[in-house]
Amino acid sequence: MGGRDATMVLLDENGIRCDGRKIDEPRRIMIRAGGLKNADGSAYIEFGDNKILVGVFGPRDVHPKHMSDTDTGILRVRYHMEPFSVDERKRPAPSRREIEISKVIKEALEPAVMLEKFPRTAVDVFIEVLQADGGTRCAALTAASVALADAGIPMRDMVAAIASGKVADTIILDVNNEEDQAGQADMPIGYMPSLEKITLLQLDGVLTPEEYKKCVEVGVEGCKLVYDIQKKALNDKYFGKKGD
Amino acid sequence: MASKTILDELKRTQILELLEQGKRTDGRALDEPRELTIEINAIPKANGSAKLRLGDTEVLCGVKIQPDKPFPDMGDKGIFMCTAELLPLSHPTVETGPPQAPVIELARVVDRGIRESHMVDVSQLVIEKDKSVVGVFADIVVIDYDGNLFDACSYAATAALLTSKTPKWTMVDDKITLVDGGESPLPTTTIPVSVTMGKIGNHIVVDPNGDEWESMDARVTITSDSDGNICALQKGGSDGFTLDEMVQCGELSVRVGAQIREKLKAAQQEAQ
Amino acid sequence: MADRRKYVIPGDVITTGPFRPEQNVMLDGEKIIATAVGISEIYDDSVKVIPLTGKYIPKIDDLVIAKVNSHTSLSWELDINSCYVGFLPAQDVFGRDFSAHADELTSKLKTGDLVAARIANFDRTRDPLVTISDRDLGKIDSGVLIAISPSKVPRLIGKRGSMIQMIEQATDAAVTIGQNGWVVVSCDSPEGLLKAKTAIEMVNEKAHVANLTDQVKEMLDKKSES
Repeated sequence: MGGRDATMVLLDENGIRCDGRKIDEPRRIMIRAGGLKNADGSAYIEFGDNKILVGVFGPRDVHPKHMSDTDTGILRVRYHMEPFSVDERKRPAPSRREIEISKVIKEALEPAVMLEKFPRTAVDVFIEVLQADGGTRCAALTAASVALADAGIPMRDMVAAIASGKVADTIILDVNNEEDQAGQADMPIGYMPSLEKITLLQLDGVLTPEEYKKCVEVGVEGCKLVYDIQKKALNDKYFGKKGD
Repeated sequence: MASKTILDELKRTQILELLEQGKRTDGRALDEPRELTIEINAIPKANGSAKLRLGDTEVLCGVKIQPDKPFPDMGDKGIFMCTAELLPLSHPTVETGPPQAPVIELARVVDRGIRESHMVDVSQLVIEKDKSVVGVFADIVVIDYDGNLFDACSYAATAALLTSKTPKWTMVDDKITLVDGGESPLPTTTIPVSVTMGKIGNHIVVDPNGDEWESMDARVTITSDSDGNICALQKGGSDGFTLDEMVQCGELSVRVGAQIREKLKAAQQEAQ
Repeated sequence: MADRRKYVIPGDVITTGPFRPEQNVMLDGEKIIATAVGISEIYDDSVKVIPLTGKYIPKIDDLVIAKVNSHTSLSWELDINSCYVGFLPAQDVFGRDFSAHADELTSKLKTGDLVAARIANFDRTRDPLVTISDRDLGKIDSGVLIAISPSKVPRLIGKRGSMIQMIEQATDAAVTIGQNGWVVVSCDSPEGLLKAKTAIEMVNEKAHVANLTDQVKEMLDKKSES
């Protein structure tokens, strides 16, 4: 995935990033709860130029039966990118990256979803990346959480996600595509705001122990901003304007 | 498509009773397609795109245009390829995994409908003969299912292609080089429109919705071009059509196709 | 009576203190936390959340509308619009003398048939057991099936049946409401049927709106055009 401008300035002398943002400023985020007719729950997110759609089915019967668990429901997540979502057309078959991200997102949601309430069933989360621009896994996890709530799946908490990182020796919030490619570190983080637990954390890059601590703190604060937008999405759909 | 959901018997009986009276459950006439809405440029980073709703069926097509190697023996032609995928979030019965025969049929029928009309002039898509050509890929994904994916996918691909912009490449020192500011609309020659008709009992209905799709005994998808000529056809389903029915379907497809073509033209105007 | 209703989403802290957590609520130390999107209600000694979305969870004695998915020689499998499928044994329909050799299940119920049924037994380790052997139960021969969100069923019934009675009286339709969100409407007049359908769909869309009853009444009172 090359072709980036090597001379691009990631952080100028005024502390402004390559897309005009300040170091602690996330991109524009919009979340809509619902929207799909057939899925049990759904959500659509625009996170910067990322456009991601999530559909949830469940709890539902598991086929083949031997995959079900007698004591608890199971969570299945599929993160999938459309061929037209990236710069160079992507072939439809699942890539290793998609398979890894599917697993990481599943494990980020499992602490939140109360699967033990539905033995012998499955909850399926289908993530479709329609347009990608850095930070898709965080946007996907954020939307998946809203879709699960929309489906009425019992959850201990929401999971909100964003990536913090480092460019020009400075810790920043919400890493975009250019910063991911040319920057010094990228740390996607997923967080449950009420239970105060980190459920997704990955790192690409090099950080000193102090930078690492700051990066996690900045990420957690960023997740709280994302959570407010998740809340708004559910409020808008379910608790709408009175008398409409 | 989505493996058979069980239509309740009352609904099936109701559909047939209404058809005997010349009516349909959603109030449409037998030769009337559902409401069609097209959103152009839904995916701005692609070379072209269209999000399309046909009733409650929703599909999205993204067009990517990039340099590619020509097929052997076809060094003077660019590449055009159309794919279709049924996303698991579109219906509870859709399974993940490699595409099954119905989805493969869908993709190939949509591809043929556009290809056989020569909508995309592949002879204009050559960078250097036998070495390097332009590849035009129209990838369609189904987001919400309510019957008749053939037409929904076809219209989405056509709308996306009609409003696509292609970059320009030349060979500089034997390397494919992008020409700055060389973007232009993708050259197209005609507007193919497919019309799918279902046979329920002895009745032919245009653009079957989800319930009608489960009730039908056979179907046929017929594609016509801007000159009113039929350029592709696919019959499916486990029952047969009479000769008269097939001829009737041919006439219907050209007539209804002309109406749909106006909508696609309007979308093309809007993009300019 | 319920105190202090609040709109909540999963993770919201409803209150703290010595309350018993009931439906859609969990205890985390001293905090009572919502586990669903809905409306929280605090009673004297307990807290619950009324969900605004979610699948139907079978409860014993619930009346449900079910659809026959398939059958073996000994039982039918029913779609009850839940995460679990309903199990209807042949004896329930044929009686104690049922014989798998002599009695053909499809003579009574076949795939695609709709039935009004009751949940006879259910715990999460087994599929729910269903019965159709009461007077008001059995195969549904006519009518239109409408699906609404199971969480909207109480609103469709109304206080002491007030909402559904209003709809039935205004349209002359007979409506059977399944707790599982499936509703069957039958009516001799097509206009009445359409009106009843519209009213039911209105309740499904606008259950959270304060003056819903007035809005539905207004729609029902309007003389139908043409």
